[in-house]
Amino acid sequence: MLNRRSFLNYAAMAGAGVALHRVNPDFFLGTAHAAIDRPLVFLSAENITGNWDPTAHTTLSQSNIEGFVMGFLTRAPMRPENPDEVIYELATEINELSATRLEIKLREGVTFHDGKPFTSEDVKATFVYGSGLDRPKQVYPGATDTFEVETPDDYTVIVDTSKGGYGASLFIFLASYLPMLSAKDIAEGPQGILSQRLNGTGPFKFVEQRGNDTVMEAYPDYFKGTPTIPGVTFSFVGDATTRMLSLMNGQADVIERLEPEQLETLEGNDEIKISKLVSVENKYLWFRCSKPPFDNPLLRKAAAHAIDRELIMEVMGTAGHASANFVSPIKFGYVDLDNYPEYDPEECQRLLAEAGYPGGQGLPEIEYITSTGFYPKTKEYGEVIAALMQEQGFPVTLNVMEVAAWNERLYDRPGGGPGHMVDCGWSTGSPEPDLVLRTHFHSTSKRICGIEDPEIDAALDEERNAASLEERQASLQGNLMPMLADKVPALSLFTSVLIHAMRADLDGLFIYPDGLSDASQVTEAS
Amino acid sequence: MFILRFLLRRLAQGALIIFLVSALIFTLLRVVPGDPVRLMAGGMAPEALIEEIATDMGLRDPIPVQFTRYMSGVVQGDLGQSFVRPANGAAVGGASFDDSTRSARAEVWDLIADTAPKTIQLACLAMVFALMIAIPIGVWGGLHPGGWPDRIALYTSSVFVSLPNFWLGIILALLLSVKLKLLPAIGYGGFAWTILPALVLAIEIAPFIIRSLTVSVAQIMGQNFIEIAGVRGLSRSQIIFRHGAKNAAVPLLNLLGVQFSMLLGGVLVVEFIFDYPGLGLLTINAVMQRDFPLIQGIAIVTAAAFVLINIVVDLLSTLIDPRLEY
Repeated sequence: MLNRRSFLNYAAMAGAGVALHRVNPDFFLGTAHAAIDRPLVFLSAENITGNWDPTAHTTLSQSNIEGFVMGFLTRAPMRPENPDEVIYELATEINELSATRLEIKLREGVTFHDGKPFTSEDVKATFVYGSGLDRPKQVYPGATDTFEVETPDDYTVIVDTSKGGYGASLFIFLASYLPMLSAKDIAEGPQGILSQRLNGTGPFKFVEQRGNDTVMEAYPDYFKGTPTIPGVTFSFVGDATTRMLSLMNGQADVIERLEPEQLETLEGNDEIKISKLVSVENKYLWFRCSKPPFDNPLLRKAAAHAIDRELIMEVMGTAGHASANFVSPIKFGYVDLDNYPEYDPEECQRLLAEAGYPGGQGLPEIEYITSTGFYPKTKEYGEVIAALMQEQGFPVTLNVMEVAAWNERLYDRPGGGPGHMVDCGWSTGSPEPDLVLRTHFHSTSKRICGIEDPEIDAALDEERNAASLEERQASLQGNLMPMLADKVPALSLFTSVLIHAMRADLDGLFIYPDGLSDASQVTEAS
Repeated sequence: MFILRFLLRRLAQGALIIFLVSALIFTLLRVVPGDPVRLMAGGMAPEALIEEIATDMGLRDPIPVQFTRYMSGVVQGDLGQSFVRPANGAAVGGASFDDSTRSARAEVWDLIADTAPKTIQLACLAMVFALMIAIPIGVWGGLHPGGWPDRIALYTSSVFVSLPNFWLGIILALLLSVKLKLLPAIGYGGFAWTILPALVLAIEIAPFIIRSLTVSVAQIMGQNFIEIAGVRGLSRSQIIFRHGAKNAAVPLLNLLGVQFSMLLGGVLVVEFIFDYPGLGLLTINAVMQRDFPLIQGIAIVTAAAFVLINIVVDLLSTLIDPRLEY
């Protein structure tokens, strides 16, 4: 019989039963995650340029800052298990209308941080401005006059490359690499507002540069939702030990470019976790091809055969990944090249003799420039390379410089850049191989090695002009890449493994293989 | 009247020293390898543009012409503009040749004025810590020459002087900041950020003060006027503090002047290790970036500080001991 007391008991039990469904069992079973109530502190190993125009530099740290602030048509996570994955961001669709026409559909309702709505005019302006040959970061397959951009409506862009004679599909991979600029900013030209601050559609808004700190705050109208953290402070701290100590004492949340020894120290620390990624960056030994002695391909090849890359990998430890091509294994078209120069002292001596320098006799003094303080282990493996080359008769002197001095000597100049060999990496956050190959080996660009070779130019044009991705892959793997391995304008030593260390209780930070990060969903385990 | 003559004479000497230092630094910077214009304009800049910028900036003129132009600005209080740093003070690297698109360049004076107070704060705190460490040990050692307090002073000084400051900085940061979480170590967010680097600097300079104190106190305490002071009925503490300490203060004061000047040099390494945004870190970055105007500006300001510190020290010494003449 139901009396008042039992009715209350049953009602209470029923209420508890209903409430049980509403209780999140993670509270008992899993780790709770909370939004972080202070800016994320990211310590960088490299300084910025002082010019905020994204088309005006090739500086990695500044690109990392752009990763927080700027929006991209697509993003390419490029994980080894799924290297071709593309995530649509400002674009919602990319369709190949024909071999030379590409249609890009844009997301609606996105605004720049200054309040201007993002539309097709911004994409057009970005493409036209960024492809100008006067832009230091010109990464497009051709100059502005080689393609046309139509904007049928505010959210549709059509790229037509028929004038340039190359496939429009080249813009597919580029879409994940080019930050979208505001047409209003571009209208002011390279000396206008673009150079003074960043204005993007990304999760964080650029606030100010305060000394060596780049201060960013969460953009509440971010199209994917307001970021979970109030901001990001991105700071340049030149010393690797200082960066590590900052992480260990809790002043920093994320640090980059760890040395292998630091990795060993931090791996034993429960409060810190490590992110290791095979990156899009290969480290190269660039030969100055526009001046003696390395204007002679036989000597470049001889030098390449003098270098034992396995020894370099031993020096690099976990910070290097073996590869045998001029691009990273996570880039489109990568293949282990059969004719990639391997350590072969006999072949080295044969080539030296063929070039007229038996045993290295008669070779001029060779200066090998490298840096210390930014890339891990450059000095150490530089000494290995110098010793191996000396062993074969190359009179090599290693010149180790701090980053600014090395940077000053890095690029090609008329008559050849400083020194005869230079160490440098090249990192581009897209599967597009031409961002490395065309940038460095085409006579119109030849950033560091200074090579001018009509055969390489023709091979680069052939793969660029391929009608389909399959044809392009065949051209890259069957023609261009083996040709580069034969002419060796540079020797790719290995692929970098990007090592970041961060607080163990930090979740949701996504790091791309070029070092850019998405911090919009970062939470703190509590 | 004496003070006025003293100041006029010493300031005139100081101006000459600063002029000579400026001339030396200016000339050296222009003969060492490394083209600052290449850094300013970026690695990819064409050679013609490099030459154009260099010519426009007068960097291809003969060194005496450049120096005269520079000094005429300096005497009007204009230390020039940084070659590479934008007005927000960020350390930057060269990358583009669109030089004119860079943000407005920072005034050298502003950069120094922004960082010098932090370095002065660091140096003063380091001096306070050094005195706190050195005075008890040094005076105690001086009062017992040849005894075990003297040996403790010697051994402590030897240990302190043997510790490399970069190593000590890392160890103290690991211990006090990482392990014990007592102090912040990296960057600057307030006074607490000064303590750890000041401690490192203090340990670096304390040995010199300890040795100087030990020797001067021992010498003073062995003199006749101290021995007969007891006969005059003065207590031991009166003898030590009124007579011994006062007389030992003159060499100490001179040493402190030198040490304070040395501190301004010592901050280079310590500020780099702790990423402390003072004059030392500014100097290191300026040297790495071949930022000539900034290096010159820092050199002039530092030389002026040396001169002024020495004038003050000499003045104080004459006040303590009127027999001294400078």
